[in-house]
Amino acid sequence: MEAINLQALLIILFVSIGTYSLRVSGLLLSNKLVNEGKIKIFLDYLPATLLLSLIVPSILKEGIVGLVATAFIALIIYKTRSILLSMIIGVGIVALSRNFI
Amino acid sequence: MKNDFRNGFIANIPIGISVFAYGSVLGMIATQKGVALYELVLMNIFIFAGSAQFVIVDMWSSSLDVIGIILAALMINLRYFLVGASLNQLFIGTTKKEKFKYMHLVADENWAITIDKMKTQEITPLFLFGGGIALFFLWSLGTIGGYTLGGFISDPSKFGLDFAFVAIFTALTFNMYKGSSDILPWFIAGLTAVICEHFMDGKLYIVIGALVGSLSATYFVKEEHGSD
Repeated sequence: MEAINLQALLIILFVSIGTYSLRVSGLLLSNKLVNEGKIKIFLDYLPATLLLSLIVPSILKEGIVGLVATAFIALIIYKTRSILLSMIIGVGIVALSRNFI
Repeated sequence: MKNDFRNGFIANIPIGISVFAYGSVLGMIATQKGVALYELVLMNIFIFAGSAQFVIVDMWSSSLDVIGIILAALMINLRYFLVGASLNQLFIGTTKKEKFKYMHLVADENWAITIDKMKTQEITPLFLFGGGIALFFLWSLGTIGGYTLGGFISDPSKFGLDFAFVAIFTALTFNMYKGSSDILPWFIAGLTAVICEHFMDGKLYIVIGALVGSLSATYFVKEEHGSD
């Protein structure tokens, strides 16, 4: 049995406290704000702008295949509104291209 | 309302499969890096953030750079501040205790699925929490499995599973589209993220893209007047 590594525990402790504080403080702060006008617009747009910031660089890195998969996802969402189906098709396109092209 | 927990749990299982697969990769790397199993489990329980855990394990060595690792991990998790802020509608009318209880298990996946669900259905934070529990189980199963059994899914990207996150987030984004007034702020967010990702180290581009995109919306999008 290895000795308990205090440095490792310190890292886990501080990242845990920091991450939890970020999660909670964002919510508590936005609840304090008056949810109207510009603040409402800012908060309303936050989910989409966060998601876009996550996905757009990743899609572009995937190249043409990423764009094709994105187009299919858009089409499936438009036609069926099914998140699950669009995920399966998107993953399928990328997997096919990686294994067979 | 009573079923919110269960519904949230089930709604997160499809993306949870990818979470499981990437957990197994993290577990495998953790073994190689000499992370102890209990340390991995503590991270799963108390940090519960996939990409930050990947960075921590990646930077792990026999002589730990304590400050460097803490800062790198928290930098990646900065976006949770914005994620938390965007959940204010869901938590309206809840007590402080509920907020403290349900916010811990918030990850990108159950957050995005919850935001999507809120548009069509009246849900409580239990939906978010149920999703968090589902992700927690699958993440733990994957990481501990990878740690003890080795790489049983050694290359999830071969099956496109890395793209599963992108695909589901893309689908959720398209599902949020409300009309042409969205186009400009969305474009600005994406473009800012791409530029920052190119020129900056780390994951700060996520937060900057979101902030700039949402700020641009306050400038370009007209306020609604008495629409309800």
